Amino acid sequence: MAKNKTEKEFNFKLYAVIVFFGVLAALIAIVYTTFTSRYTAFHPEEVAKTYVDTIVQTGDGYNAYKNSLLSKSRKYGDFIREYYMYPVIDRDVNAELDAVTDSDIPKGYNNDFYKGEKTLGDDGSLQGQLIDTMYPYYEELIAENGWDNYDLVFTSYFDKLVEERKALFGDDYMTDEIMFTALEANVRTYGEKLTGTEDEFDENTGMQISAKSEGAYEKAFGEGYRIVTEVKDENDLDLEIYLANVDEKALESYRISKDDISAVKEFVVKTSCGEKEAEVTVVAVQIGRSWYVDSAQTDTSALYSFAE
Amino acid sequence: MSDNKVKKYMKKSEIATFGIGLFGVALLTGWMPDYTATYFADFAFKGKGFDPNVMSNTISMVFLVAGIVGAVCELVIGYLVDNTRTKFGKVKPWVGFGVVPLALISMLVFVAPNTNNQTVAIVWMFVIYSLYTAFCCAVESPANCFGSLCSPNPAERSSAISIASFLRSVGQSGGMVVILVVGLIMKAAMGQQQFKNAEGQGLDLLISTAVCALGIILFTMIFFVNNKERVPFTQEKVSLKDAVKVVFTNKNLLMVSLTKLAGFGRGVYGTVSLYIAIYLLGSKDLKLGLLLPMGIGTAVGTLLVNIVLKKFSTKKTFIIFCLYGASSLSILFLVSKGIGFNKGLIIPFLILNFFCGLQHGNTNVTPNIMIADCVDEIEYKTGKRQEGLAYAGYGLFSKIASAFTKALGPWLLYTWSGYAVSTDANVAYATQTDATLDKLLMIYTIIPAVFVVFQAVPIFFYDMVGEKKEKITKELIARREANGTLKREEA
Repeated sequence: MAKNKTEKEFNFKLYAVIVFFGVLAALIAIVYTTFTSRYTAFHPEEVAKTYVDTIVQTGDGYNAYKNSLLSKSRKYGDFIREYYMYPVIDRDVNAELDAVTDSDIPKGYNNDFYKGEKTLGDDGSLQGQLIDTMYPYYEELIAENGWDNYDLVFTSYFDKLVEERKALFGDDYMTDEIMFTALEANVRTYGEKLTGTEDEFDENTGMQISAKSEGAYEKAFGEGYRIVTEVKDENDLDLEIYLANVDEKALESYRISKDDISAVKEFVVKTSCGEKEAEVTVVAVQIGRSWYVDSAQTDTSALYSFAE
Repeated sequence: MSDNKVKKYMKKSEIATFGIGLFGVALLTGWMPDYTATYFADFAFKGKGFDPNVMSNTISMVFLVAGIVGAVCELVIGYLVDNTRTKFGKVKPWVGFGVVPLALISMLVFVAPNTNNQTVAIVWMFVIYSLYTAFCCAVESPANCFGSLCSPNPAERSSAISIASFLRSVGQSGGMVVILVVGLIMKAAMGQQQFKNAEGQGLDLLISTAVCALGIILFTMIFFVNNKERVPFTQEKVSLKDAVKVVFTNKNLLMVSLTKLAGFGRGVYGTVSLYIAIYLLGSKDLKLGLLLPMGIGTAVGTLLVNIVLKKFSTKKTFIIFCLYGASSLSILFLVSKGIGFNKGLIIPFLILNFFCGLQHGNTNVTPNIMIADCVDEIEYKTGKRQEGLAYAGYGLFSKIASAFTKALGPWLLYTWSGYAVSTDANVAYATQTDATLDKLLMIYTIIPAVFVVFQAVPIFFYDMVGEKKEKITKELIARREANGTLKREEA
């Protein structure tokens, strides 16, 4: 009897329902507020700033594309594979001819069939040599063109890679992994040339592996330099004019339709270190709720010579 | 008497909902420590330009301080629970009402302030995680105690506890499934690259925490509505001083408690497991894949311990499993060193992980049996039966050990191993050097192995076995029959 009275006094089920929906509402509010305030793609000025900052801090125009239209619908790496790697790897594949040719020779150079002796016996040192060989070419390519024309950079770089690899290994073997490894190592080295490196020691022997190096930025701006990037100005652009001039073929390769774009903005992003300043005009477009940099409308060349 | 022995008090659904409640609690409390560590280290203040050395040392201190807060709270909450007298019981109010602030505080752990001031960031980490730890104690400790109050029938109680313990251990890994599913949904909704960008900003952790927080609310509310406390509380007052005294005046209980302290470093593998998943298996989503073989090993180990206990004393069983544990971890280390930190290591690593998991069955089961034996010994010597205090004392040592583990783990990971934090807003985890990867393996294998050996040392001084145990058990039965306590309990 006493127990029944207690249960009448406190309705456990009602309490549970109120708590569940109350906490659900609170969690949704916290997640929504935090996600919308933190997720860079929801803030066009942050997208523009991140794009410029990634390039100016380490000269990394390659990874800056992760904030661009190019990465809207799929992984950046998959885009590179489809348009720039597979065409190189499968350059001699002829579907029509292959259909009527009774040949045992595999199609595409990412096959063990094409591995020569040097590839089979490589412990990584030849691959390292290939990366070192490619670096001056990469540096020259970026000095001349920057990363704004990714089509030119990828095409030229991978063509050169095929050529250099064949000279070094003596075979035609090629995979996307080889291509990514070489390119990304060169991108990293390029960044280290700007920022400098610290002394590195072998953990087991204590022997010094590499010495501290002074980067171009330290030489230009002094020790403890700090590059600051900020959005200086922001303007809405006319969507119709933008769409009239947009490269539809490029959009198609990004798996985007013109109709997806609902707004376009232009940002003047200023980057400075002491008295040195550079300004870049970045165009960002809105698709759904997210914003992406239109790299075709953005000239970042000033950032690659920031240390000069 | 025999009628009373078989009388069952709990509805079948109550046994299930008790387990569901513990599953819910473990879902959140199992998720928080490791993912908080990675959130603080890798995402909370990314791009703010804070000194990485100061930040990594701070994270170790945050977990140490929070652990000490947890140890103090363990006793304080135990004391408050024992002095709680409500119409719903002494434990239920703590779980049913405490879970709301716990869920909200847990969520706020993953909402770092947008500050460029490193001091503010550090203070925030200390405050928010200590708050989480305190609220966690206020819910988790009472929830774990509920088993002793759910039924006066010891057999029914044991059965409920074992089912609930199983569901609790499943719940502890639930967060790994949550992050996997959240990742898949985010990929589908945002596209792969945009998901990678969001992951680089720690936003998948935010959503996963919300899911776990909602999970604890849902599951503990089911428990809160359906379960009843059936063992009437006594009117004896319990003091904090007594709790500590009981542990320090009984040699055997002290030795069992000291195993926790001596072996505190065996748990550091948990801190690094996330990074082993990232750098060995290729994704943090695969932490489940990494720990699943170990979890299965633990379940099998629990069964094995019961078999071994039938042939050997608790003391011998504990020592045998410790030696086995240290050996299996050492083998895992040697095999890993031999193969190297590459894809070829994945399969042998996962297989050996299963064998390493077997030892955990021992640490889950044997100390609890030993404590029960110690309670008998205390009753034999003093005439007082003090389960609550004995478990609270053991819990105190566990919390202190856990504090050391949570401080040592992040220190080993973020400072000693030379771990490099990603500075790219769109890249979650930076590439690590071979030397760092090697040390990650050591934190997962050989370092815990050393502590597994250490944890066996106090048990060499444990003597509540053999003839002594038999004599005490017989004497206690005789005493209870003489003073009619058994009849009173059955009434």
